[in-house]
Amino acid sequence: MSETPRLQMKIDMPSDPRYLPVVRGAIGPLAAAIGWDEAGCREITLALDEALANVIRHAYHSRRDGLIRLECREGAGGIEIILLDNGDAPDQSKICAGEMGCDRPGGLGTHIIRRVMDSVTYEITPAGNRFLASKRLGKTP
Amino acid sequence: MKISIRDVGDAKVVEVEGDVDLGTSPELRSALYDSLPRVARVAVNLQAIRYIDSSGIATFIEVLRDSQRMKKEFVLFGLSPAVLQVFKLTHVIRLFRVFQTEQEALEAV
Repeated sequence: MSETPRLQMKIDMPSDPRYLPVVRGAIGPLAAAIGWDEAGCREITLALDEALANVIRHAYHSRRDGLIRLECREGAGGIEIILLDNGDAPDQSKICAGEMGCDRPGGLGTHIIRRVMDSVTYEITPAGNRFLASKRLGKTP
Repeated sequence: MKISIRDVGDAKVVEVEGDVDLGTSPELRSALYDSLPRVARVAVNLQAIRYIDSSGIATFIEVLRDSQRMKKEFVLFGLSPAVLQVFKLTHVIRLFRVFQTEQEALEAV
């Protein structure tokens, strides 16, 4: 009997915030199919949304015509999310999760990503800027 | 996202419905800053918000900070579990005065 293929989806989208609800509508059901409950699906959806928003704001400076390649797949006992863009490379020294609980808004999105996902890395590759995040089933922030 | 604003005594009640994200939070920000100088109190109903991200939370923090500078009251009410989850993830809930109902929000301010 053949092995059940792993769940995965790939989306190429413009760096246009109007596509964010479209992606949110896809990632939640994928996380549910992998095994997360409603609250877990909301967290993963939020983390991906924040990562996409960071690319739109910081890599493409709110330009709407940049390309973002999104890949989400079942793997490593959970989910892996990969974003690839050709915008400005992230300044590693400025990627910080803001101090939480204070009244400064900066860094909230990055904090959410790191709080929700188990592993987050940023790489500059010949193909573009690569964001990779993963989360195992059964772990909660 | 839909926003509607109504006057209740010396307060404005801002009803927000739908998704608050990078694309829609500027509209929310404009509506709140339009309301704030006109009244002593602004109460925001979050009951019908289906989704909110960090740009929405940052908008509320920014308006709260300016309301304090302007000696105005800025309160939130009707947080759904989904919205509360995001406030808790960002650890900023303690900055706000949060109520369950509109009546409580308006009586308390």
